[in-house]
Amino acid sequence: MTRNNTHKPYVDYTLIYILLLLLGFGLIMVYSTSSYTASITQATGNDPYYFLRKQANATIIGLILMVVVSFIPHRVYTRFANLAMYVSIVLIFLILTPLGYEANGAKRWIRIGGISLQPAEVAKVAVILYMTVTIVKNKDMFKDLMSIFKKTILPIISCLLVFLLTKNLSSAIIIAAICIIMLYVVDKNSKRYIIGAAILGCVAVVAVIIALSIPDSPDVGFRMSRIKAWRNPEAYSDTIGYQTLQSLYAIGSGGFFGKGLGQSSQKLGFIPEAQNDMIFSIICEELGLFGGVCVIAMFIVLLYRMWIIANSAPDMYGMLLVTGVMAHIAVQVVLNIAVVTNVIPNTGISLPFISYGGSSVMFLLAEMGMVFGVARSIDFGDI
Amino acid sequence: MAKRKASRNMTIRRRIQGKLVILIVLVLLAFAGLGLKLLFINMTKGEQYKKTVLSQQSYDSITIPYKRGDILDSNGNKLATSDKVYNLIIDAKQLLSKEDYLEPTMTALKTCFPEFPEGEVRAFIASNPNSQYYVTLKQLEYERMAAFVDMQNNTEEYPNIKGVWFEEEYRRVYPNGSLACDVIGFTGKDNVGNYGLEQYYNSVLNGTNGREYGYLNDDETLERTTIPATDGYNIVSTIDGNIQQIVERYIKDFNDEYTNAARSGNGARNVGCIIMDVNNGNVLAMAGYPVFDLNNPRDTSALIGSPMVNEKGNIDYEAEVISAENIDTLLSDDAKTYQNLNYLWKNFCISATYEPGSVAKPFTVAAGLESGKMSGNEYYTCNGQLHVGDHDIKCHNYKSGGDGTLSVQESIEKSCNVALMLMGKQIGKSTFLEYQEKFNFGLKTNIDLYGESRTSSLVFNTQSMGDTELATSTFGQGYNVTMIQTIAAFASLINGGYYYEPHVVKQVTAPDGSIVENISPRVLKQTVSASTSELIRQYCKGVVDNGTGKTARPAGYSIGGKTGTAETVPRDKINYVVSFMGFAPADNPQIAIYVVVDRPNAVFQDDAKFATKIVRNILTEVLPYMNIYMTEELSDKEREELDSLESTITSANTEEEESEVTNEDGLKVNEDGTIDAQGGDVTSSTEVTPEEMESDDVLTAPLTGTVLDTSTGEAVREVDVNDPE
Repeated sequence: MTRNNTHKPYVDYTLIYILLLLLGFGLIMVYSTSSYTASITQATGNDPYYFLRKQANATIIGLILMVVVSFIPHRVYTRFANLAMYVSIVLIFLILTPLGYEANGAKRWIRIGGISLQPAEVAKVAVILYMTVTIVKNKDMFKDLMSIFKKTILPIISCLLVFLLTKNLSSAIIIAAICIIMLYVVDKNSKRYIIGAAILGCVAVVAVIIALSIPDSPDVGFRMSRIKAWRNPEAYSDTIGYQTLQSLYAIGSGGFFGKGLGQSSQKLGFIPEAQNDMIFSIICEELGLFGGVCVIAMFIVLLYRMWIIANSAPDMYGMLLVTGVMAHIAVQVVLNIAVVTNVIPNTGISLPFISYGGSSVMFLLAEMGMVFGVARSIDFGDI
Repeated sequence: MAKRKASRNMTIRRRIQGKLVILIVLVLLAFAGLGLKLLFINMTKGEQYKKTVLSQQSYDSITIPYKRGDILDSNGNKLATSDKVYNLIIDAKQLLSKEDYLEPTMTALKTCFPEFPEGEVRAFIASNPNSQYYVTLKQLEYERMAAFVDMQNNTEEYPNIKGVWFEEEYRRVYPNGSLACDVIGFTGKDNVGNYGLEQYYNSVLNGTNGREYGYLNDDETLERTTIPATDGYNIVSTIDGNIQQIVERYIKDFNDEYTNAARSGNGARNVGCIIMDVNNGNVLAMAGYPVFDLNNPRDTSALIGSPMVNEKGNIDYEAEVISAENIDTLLSDDAKTYQNLNYLWKNFCISATYEPGSVAKPFTVAAGLESGKMSGNEYYTCNGQLHVGDHDIKCHNYKSGGDGTLSVQESIEKSCNVALMLMGKQIGKSTFLEYQEKFNFGLKTNIDLYGESRTSSLVFNTQSMGDTELATSTFGQGYNVTMIQTIAAFASLINGGYYYEPHVVKQVTAPDGSIVENISPRVLKQTVSASTSELIRQYCKGVVDNGTGKTARPAGYSIGGKTGTAETVPRDKINYVVSFMGFAPADNPQIAIYVVVDRPNAVFQDDAKFATKIVRNILTEVLPYMNIYMTEELSDKEREELDSLESTITSANTEEEESEVTNEDGLKVNEDGTIDAQGGDVTSSTEVTPEEMESDDVLTAPLTGTVLDTSTGEAVREVDVNDPE
């Protein structure tokens, strides 16, 4: 299978349209959810466009990044996969230095030369690249669990660092999920994943039972109380159950067609920072169940187009890269909506392309650039 | 080799493709599950959450309080007003938003407000760090609030004073303390009037709160809208602060004189006085004793000297008298305290019912004359008693063998019960009752004050009135009246027969001063003809000139009136209600005055002089104040008395100059909190010097025979005091 340098590059217009649709819709929702609180907050200069402007800037930078990346053949940057992995781990450590800074009560950001970014977002991209290269180069790593473990030691370290240093469980879960899914698709042996999932499920059930059985006290850990609030948010409506409950109020009060764009009541201070992780609940409140399902449908189309690209990728690198990005987006969307609807305990996960967050949208768009790059290399005449 | 590699690649490719299908299916299942969950939330909790969301809305609104209207006297002086005051609110959330804020703010608050409860506030903030509304100090004056706000705004020196703001409120203030307390009534914090004008005109005085709130408009931008508060209307009373003050001063003098005289306690159980303009029903003064401080109506020290009330809240004349020593034990529980206070707050002049006694005699005569049953030329013979029904009803001069033969006028002058009973026979039961109703006895006067008593069950009707009842009714025993009923009816007797509805408010004005409503005098009926009225005036003048009311006449004036000495139930011949009801001047009546002394504190209570002396003192000052000229010759003794009265008033002014207390309007205030009408011109809002006082003293004019215009001090005309006009 030789590459025909004269082939017409494949451009997936459907994917472009759906992506732009998601981004545009995301900006509208960021403005809708943030304008009121921004206009009454002094820290934002009482500017209702404060969050919209920042998000639009990040989106434009992200789109430029995406276009640039899409023109770089993936063979080029996969060479730097190891380097990216090491850099991402170093960046996580930078949080401990004065470069790290705190926002919303969590120290998850670093600021270098006026640009702030979340090392966890870098880690996700780095892990996708690193896993792709590792899997392609070590086809015999699936012999046994030990050799898998040896080869994935760096992502495991990265995952643990994100969890331990930045106290960001959700990003750690996403990194782990990306790794496992990328391993799973290549591994001949599916059994070990099914068994793993079963064990994980049992552990989770046991953990929940334990959490619910211990009585309330200040000594109960923060994650344990999250689990209690998950099962019974009304009982914790003033404390940790507040956000979840308000989010459910938003979804429930929206009805089938919602209160209309901009008409949410819950964004007026009841859901704190509604433009962040809980944005999906405001979408449901303003645009109803219909709006919520439409958003899910947009993500399904996005994932479907990426699946087509993954299937048609000319090489293993391309397939795995796209699979990694798909895994990233799919897991994040599913977890976000699951949190918002209180299917799983509350943990901070943003909705890709829609939630407010500069780092997140820039790195996601860079990942999409890789997907478009892989698509460009497809020669449908070849297959 | 290449082929094997290619085929191996194909195998892996197939595997990845296959597993991607599984993953995509899993993702679709997850989405389907989440979609179902969304549907489930909407189906099961949708309606409930919709309501929850609506109930959570507060729209961040602030209430702007309205100002309750003022109560003004007839000269425009404030009897009651509302001052803007400020409540200090602590916003704990803002205060704790930075560590640097707490200490400087606390220090500043302590500096500006020494009474600031620091410990309490710190404890509250610690336990409620998210609270944004904690009322710490209430009703601060503007100056004190402004001092702190200046400090807060001085961000260079005090950059860290945060989380403190002030909420506006109004506080009811009565500049004259206890003056006209029974008429005005008082108002609680919630703008609800209690008693008097405050309660009767509550809805007129109250306005509507305004509101300031934020909302999102169609363009998703925050709008703030202010609906201003609508302030309440002011009411202008017919009460003249100066006359009211004179009345209250002499009632108090009476009380001071007789306190603890024959028994412990006040000079009388109650003293009431009404002065009314006979030509329009305007109440010029209405006072009772004991009084209470409107600014502090719950102060129980005002109860000292009164007997405890019974379980029903009525006065119990046999009960223990409250004194400074026993007040704490007697008023140990709140319910009892409030029962006693409630009695104190009642307006004696409109709520107390009693048997009028001989002041009813002019009404009996008027009924006889007007109905034609009497001609006025009759003569009656009094032997000291009359046998009516099964009783021998005695005259007051039974011991001296009766009054002998009396004309109608003499019957009134001597207050002869036998003559009146004979007249009653002549008039007959039905005519007598018809006139009782014409004079409004048994009916409410509908005066615009809260708490007027109903007396319909306390008067006789055709069934309940027998010969004995008719006989006693002719001289005012057996049925009950209120003071306001009696004086309103009396005013009609002497003004030519026009019964005016008595009223206390003459005008309602808007906050900007424009007139909302003028309350004009209302003639309800004609009780008697002008000729009967003239006769009654003549008879009443006789009472003061020749009869029982001599002591009521103020020096230099001719007045008419009737005394009353009514036995109380039980008829123990110890307790009496004594009264004097009169009008002045006799030839051209302007005002009617009625003083009732309920059980004077004396060994022998059955002496109308307790009331006539008060009337005389009051009229001596009120008539000159009203620019009513002297018509009678002054005896040397009277001249001496007036001179000494003048000098006490003048010296009181001079003394006052040294230790002058002025209230908020710049009016001079006596030690007892009342405004001194003689000491300071109540109509003026500036201080008056003694020099000005002398030239403008209302008492000076009649004594020197020169009538002065009170507003300019210029001589208007000369009056020959020896030659009545």
